[in-house]
Amino acid sequence: MRVPLPALVRVRGRSMLPTYRDGDVLLVVRGVRPRPGRAHVVRLPPDAAGRPRPLSVKRVTGRDPDDPERWWVDSDNAAEGATSFDVGSLADEDIVAVVARLVRRALG
Amino acid sequence: MLSLFRITDVAAHCDLPCGVYDPAQARIEAESVKAIIAKVADNDDPDFRVRATIIKEQRSELVKHHLWVLWTDYFKPPHFEKFPQLHQLVNEATKLAGASGTKGEFDAAKADELLAKIDEIDAIFKETKKG
Repeated sequence: MRVPLPALVRVRGRSMLPTYRDGDVLLVVRGVRPRPGRAHVVRLPPDAAGRPRPLSVKRVTGRDPDDPERWWVDSDNAAEGATSFDVGSLADEDIVAVVARLVRRALG
Repeated sequence: MLSLFRITDVAAHCDLPCGVYDPAQARIEAESVKAIIAKVADNDDPDFRVRATIIKEQRSELVKHHLWVLWTDYFKPPHFEKFPQLHQLVNEATKLAGASGTKGEFDAAKADELLAKIDEIDAIFKETKKG
């Protein structure tokens, strides 16, 4: 059985603008089911050269329309960010944590 | 591993975070195609015409490439929702740059049509930048 565990993360990049800025600190909760519509910490598949991507913050928009077992993720900033349109949908275990709240807003 | 006692960085950026997109790239190549068509009309040198044909094919292909990059990498579902004509517009523009358009023919009218389509895509692009 999974136990919900809180953790802190810092956002790096602009793909979640306007919701989260570069430098924002978020409280996230591990070990809970993905919540469609909410932002999550996710593990993206390796890039085309096989290099691992870093843990990322993305919005889980819902289930993959072609595979109801998997999750579709998107960036909030339409101009930036790798999304399920680029990397495909994600399995349950790659949705690492759900964003619970903004803890500290980055300056500027 | 994620922890409450250490802040882990999580990425919110693209693979290659340049984020630089502009229909101007497609337009410049299309202008080049149009100019080649005009030059060939005034020149009977067979060698020149062969070179012009090859370069016109390459430039037409670049027009398609740049439009496809916009279509796949820049425009996102909210854009397609807001501008439902966008898919068809990209399809028509890339067709105009193809074998039945500027790539295969020496028709200045086709080049003008292509430039007009790129302008329409550019107008949508500029709208998406306003948000």
